[in-house]
Amino acid sequence: MKEVMAIIRMNKINATKRALNAAGITSFSATGRVLGRGKGLVDYRILKGAEEGYVEAVSQLGDGPRLISKRLISVVVSDDWVERTVNAIIEENQTGTAGDGKIFVIPVTEAIRVRNGETAQGASGGNVLDSSGGLE
Amino acid sequence: MILVKAIVRPEKSDYVLAGLLEAGYPAVTKVPVFGRGKQRGLKVGDVHYDELPKEMLLIVVHENDKDFVLNTILERAKTGTGNFGDGKIFIQPVEEVYTISSGVKE
Repeated sequence: MKEVMAIIRMNKINATKRALNAAGITSFSATGRVLGRGKGLVDYRILKGAEEGYVEAVSQLGDGPRLISKRLISVVVSDDWVERTVNAIIEENQTGTAGDGKIFVIPVTEAIRVRNGETAQGASGGNVLDSSGGLE
Repeated sequence: MILVKAIVRPEKSDYVLAGLLEAGYPAVTKVPVFGRGKQRGLKVGDVHYDELPKEMLLIVVHENDKDFVLNTILERAKTGTGNFGDGKIFIQPVEEVYTISSGVKE
Protein backbone atom coordinates (compact mmCIF):
# COMPACT_ATOMS: atom_id res chain seq x y z
CA MET A 1 0.00 0.00 0.00
CA LYS A 2 1.35 3.38 -0.97
CA GLU A 3 0.48 6.99 -0.42
CA VAL A 4 0.80 9.03 -3.59
CA MET A 5 1.38 12.59 -2.46
CA ALA A 6 1.19 15.15 -5.25
CA ILE A 7 1.77 18.88 -5.23
CA ILE A 8 -0.11 20.44 -8.12
CA ARG A 9 -1.19 23.81 -9.47
CA MET A 10 -4.14 25.50 -7.76
CA ASN A 11 -6.30 25.62 -10.88
CA LYS A 12 -5.78 21.95 -11.73
CA ILE A 13 -7.50 20.46 -8.70
CA ASN A 14 -10.91 19.94 -10.34
CA ALA A 15 -9.41 18.50 -13.50
CA THR A 16 -7.28 16.17 -11.37
CA LYS A 17 -10.32 15.02 -9.42
CA ARG A 18 -12.09 14.18 -12.66
CA ALA A 19 -9.03 12.43 -14.07
CA LEU A 20 -8.61 10.28 -10.95
CA ASN A 21 -12.29 9.45 -11.03
CA ALA A 22 -12.03 8.40 -14.65
CA ALA A 23 -9.06 6.19 -13.76
CA GLY A 24 -11.18 4.45 -11.12
CA ILE A 25 -9.65 6.11 -8.10
CA THR A 26 -12.50 7.72 -6.23
CA SER A 27 -11.10 8.26 -2.76
CA PHE A 28 -8.48 10.83 -1.98
CA SER A 29 -7.87 13.76 0.28
CA ALA A 30 -6.75 17.25 -0.52
CA THR A 31 -5.26 19.94 1.66
CA GLY A 32 -6.34 23.53 1.15
CA ARG A 33 -3.72 25.97 0.01
CA VAL A 34 -0.11 25.09 0.67
CA LEU A 35 2.86 27.31 -0.09
CA GLY A 36 5.90 25.98 -1.80
CA ARG A 37 8.94 26.59 -3.87
CA GLY A 38 10.88 24.33 -6.15
CA LYS A 39 14.24 24.27 -7.80
CA GLY A 40 13.53 27.39 -9.88
CA LEU A 41 15.63 30.21 -8.57
CA VAL A 42 13.82 32.88 -10.54
CA ASP A 43 10.25 34.07 -10.39
CA TYR A 44 9.32 34.17 -14.05
CA ARG A 45 7.03 37.17 -13.67
CA ILE A 46 9.89 39.16 -12.20
CA LEU A 47 12.22 37.91 -14.93
CA LYS A 48 9.75 39.03 -17.58
CA GLY A 49 9.38 42.41 -15.91
CA ALA A 50 13.15 42.80 -15.72
CA GLU A 51 13.48 41.97 -19.41
CA GLU A 52 10.97 44.70 -20.16
CA GLY A 53 13.08 47.08 -18.09
CA TYR A 54 10.96 47.76 -15.02
CA VAL A 55 13.17 49.05 -12.20
CA GLU A 56 11.07 47.38 -9.48
CA ALA A 57 11.47 44.02 -11.17
CA VAL A 58 15.22 44.45 -11.67
CA SER A 59 15.71 45.32 -8.00
CA GLN A 60 14.02 42.10 -7.00
CA LEU A 61 16.22 39.84 -9.10
CA GLY A 62 18.41 37.45 -7.17
CA ASP A 63 16.23 37.73 -4.10
CA GLY A 64 15.60 33.99 -4.11
CA PRO A 65 12.40 32.24 -5.07
CA ARG A 66 9.03 33.30 -3.72
CA LEU A 67 6.65 30.83 -2.15
CA ILE A 68 3.88 29.99 -4.59
CA SER A 69 0.40 28.65 -3.78
CA LYS A 70 -0.18 25.01 -4.61
CA ARG A 71 -2.60 22.25 -3.70
CA LEU A 72 -1.46 19.10 -1.92
CA ILE A 73 -3.38 15.91 -2.67
CA SER A 74 -2.86 12.54 -1.15
CA VAL A 75 -4.17 9.25 -2.53
CA VAL A 76 -3.69 5.94 -0.72
CA VAL A 77 -3.72 3.01 -3.14
CA SER A 78 -2.44 -0.51 -3.26
CA ASP A 79 0.94 -1.22 -4.83
CA ASP A 80 -0.36 -2.27 -8.24
CA TRP A 81 -2.42 0.90 -8.60
CA VAL A 82 0.45 3.29 -8.00
CA GLU A 83 1.49 3.48 -11.64
CA ARG A 84 -2.04 4.17 -12.84
CA THR A 85 -2.52 6.90 -10.24
CA VAL A 86 0.80 8.56 -11.05
CA ASN A 87 0.08 8.46 -14.78
CA ALA A 88 -3.38 9.95 -14.31
CA ILE A 89 -1.97 12.83 -12.28
CA ILE A 90 0.91 13.47 -14.65
CA GLU A 91 -1.28 13.37 -17.73
CA GLU A 92 -3.73 15.89 -16.34
CA ASN A 93 -1.22 18.27 -14.77
CA GLN A 94 1.57 18.33 -17.31
CA THR A 95 1.93 21.68 -19.05
CA GLY A 96 5.63 21.21 -19.67
CA THR A 97 6.78 24.29 -17.77
CA ALA A 98 8.43 24.53 -14.38
CA GLY A 99 5.94 24.68 -11.55
CA ASP A 100 3.75 21.77 -12.58
CA GLY A 101 4.57 20.07 -9.30
CA LYS A 102 5.98 16.88 -7.91
CA ILE A 103 4.68 13.44 -7.01
CA PHE A 104 6.07 11.47 -4.09
CA VAL A 105 5.29 7.82 -3.40
CA ILE A 106 5.48 6.93 0.29
CA PRO A 107 4.93 3.47 1.79
CA VAL A 108 1.92 3.00 4.08
CA THR A 109 1.97 0.00 6.40
CA GLU A 110 -1.62 -0.09 7.52
CA ALA A 111 -5.00 1.48 6.77
CA ILE A 112 -7.95 1.34 9.14
CA ARG A 113 -11.52 2.33 8.37
CA VAL A 114 -12.85 4.39 11.26
CA ARG A 115 -16.49 3.41 10.75
CA ASN A 116 -16.05 -0.25 11.71
CA GLY A 117 -12.38 -0.78 12.41
CA GLU A 118 -11.71 -2.84 9.27
CA THR A 119 -8.05 -2.94 8.39
CA ALA A 120 -6.23 -3.39 5.12
CA GLN A 121 -2.65 -4.34 4.55
CA GLY A 122 -1.36 -4.40 1.03
CA ALA A 123 -4.85 -4.85 -0.37
CA SER A 124 -5.55 -4.84 -4.09
CA GLY A 125 -7.90 -2.48 -5.87
CA GLY A 126 -8.04 1.25 -6.37
CA ASN A 127 -9.67 2.11 -3.11
CA VAL A 128 -7.67 0.48 -0.41
CA LEU A 129 -10.50 0.30 2.05
CA ASP A 130 -13.22 -0.46 -0.46
CA SER A 131 -15.23 -3.53 0.49
CA SER A 132 -15.82 -4.33 -3.17
CA GLY A 133 -12.69 -6.40 -3.43
CA GLY A 134 -10.37 -3.76 -2.00
CA LEU A 135 -10.24 -5.08 1.52
CA GLU A 136 -8.38 -8.19 2.42
CA MET B 1 14.95 9.77 -1.12
CA ILE B 2 13.45 10.70 2.21
CA LEU B 3 10.63 13.02 3.25
CA VAL B 4 11.50 15.33 6.13
CA LYS B 5 8.32 16.50 7.83
CA ALA B 6 9.14 19.31 10.22
CA ILE B 7 6.53 20.92 12.42
CA VAL B 8 7.85 24.32 13.48
CA ARG B 9 6.63 27.56 14.99
CA PRO B 10 4.96 29.73 12.31
CA GLU B 11 7.17 32.71 13.19
CA LYS B 12 10.29 30.57 12.71
CA SER B 13 9.39 29.04 9.37
CA ASP B 14 10.70 31.93 7.27
CA TYR B 15 14.04 31.78 9.05
CA VAL B 16 14.23 28.01 8.50
CA LEU B 17 13.32 28.42 4.82
CA ALA B 18 15.99 31.09 4.35
CA GLY B 19 18.54 28.78 5.94
CA LEU B 20 17.58 25.90 3.67
CA LEU B 21 17.80 28.14 0.63
CA GLU B 22 21.28 29.32 1.59
CA ALA B 23 22.33 25.74 2.10
CA GLY B 24 21.13 24.85 -1.39
CA TYR B 25 17.80 23.17 -0.65
CA PRO B 26 15.30 25.51 -2.29
CA ALA B 27 12.49 22.99 -2.77
CA VAL B 28 10.04 22.94 0.10
CA THR B 29 6.29 22.90 0.73
CA LYS B 30 4.73 24.69 3.67
CA VAL B 31 1.40 23.57 5.15
CA PRO B 32 -0.42 25.47 7.90
CA VAL B 33 -1.49 23.02 10.62
CA PHE B 34 -2.83 22.97 14.17
CA GLY B 35 -1.70 20.62 16.87
CA ARG B 36 -0.70 19.92 20.39
CA GLY B 37 2.20 18.07 21.91
CA LYS B 38 3.18 16.27 25.04
CA GLN B 39 2.34 19.31 27.17
CA ARG B 40 -1.32 19.04 26.06
CA GLY B 41 -1.49 22.48 24.60
CA LEU B 42 -0.92 25.68 26.46
CA LYS B 43 -2.51 27.06 29.61
CA VAL B 44 -2.51 30.83 30.08
CA GLY B 45 -4.41 31.79 33.24
CA ASP B 46 -7.81 30.16 32.96
CA VAL B 47 -7.68 29.75 29.21
CA HIS B 48 -6.56 26.42 27.84
CA TYR B 49 -5.37 26.37 24.23
CA ASP B 50 -5.81 22.85 22.99
CA GLU B 51 -4.62 23.35 19.42
CA LEU B 52 -1.72 25.62 18.64
CA PRO B 53 -0.98 26.93 15.17
CA LYS B 54 2.19 25.49 13.61
CA GLU B 55 3.63 25.16 10.17
CA MET B 56 4.59 21.86 8.64
CA LEU B 57 7.49 21.89 6.20
CA LEU B 58 7.71 19.07 3.71
CA ILE B 59 11.19 18.61 2.27
CA VAL B 60 12.20 15.69 0.07
CA VAL B 61 15.97 15.13 -0.12
CA HIS B 62 18.50 12.40 -0.76
CA GLU B 63 19.50 10.21 2.16
CA ASN B 64 22.99 11.70 2.08
CA ASP B 65 21.65 15.18 2.74
CA LYS B 66 19.55 14.10 5.70
CA ASP B 67 21.87 15.12 8.50
CA PHE B 68 22.63 18.48 6.98
CA VAL B 69 18.97 19.37 6.48
CA LEU B 70 18.13 18.13 9.97
CA ASN B 71 20.86 20.22 11.55
CA THR B 72 19.76 23.31 9.63
CA ILE B 73 16.18 22.91 10.83
CA LEU B 74 17.15 22.03 14.39
CA GLU B 75 19.46 25.00 14.63
CA ARG B 76 17.06 27.52 13.12
CA ALA B 77 13.70 26.41 14.53
CA LYS B 78 14.92 26.53 18.10
CA THR B 79 13.95 29.43 20.37
CA GLY B 80 16.69 30.41 22.80
CA THR B 81 18.18 27.31 24.35
CA GLY B 82 15.13 25.32 23.35
CA ASN B 83 11.57 25.55 24.67
CA PHE B 84 8.45 23.41 24.64
CA GLY B 85 6.56 24.02 21.42
CA ASP B 86 9.58 24.38 19.17
CA GLY B 87 8.26 21.46 17.17
CA LYS B 88 9.13 18.01 15.93
CA ILE B 89 10.77 16.48 12.90
CA PHE B 90 9.59 13.23 11.33
CA ILE B 91 11.34 11.33 8.57
CA GLN B 92 9.62 9.01 6.14
CA PRO B 93 10.98 6.99 3.25
CA VAL B 94 9.99 8.06 -0.26
CA GLU B 95 10.14 5.31 -2.85
CA GLU B 96 9.49 7.20 -6.06
CA VAL B 97 9.67 10.84 -7.09
CA TYR B 98 8.15 12.21 -10.30
CA THR B 99 8.44 15.68 -11.79
CA ILE B 100 5.10 16.44 -13.40
CA SER B 101 6.35 18.96 -15.97
CA SER B 102 8.65 16.42 -17.60
CA GLY B 103 6.99 13.23 -16.36
CA VAL B 104 10.45 11.95 -15.44
CA LYS B 105 10.98 9.60 -12.55
CA GLU B 106 13.98 10.62 -10.48
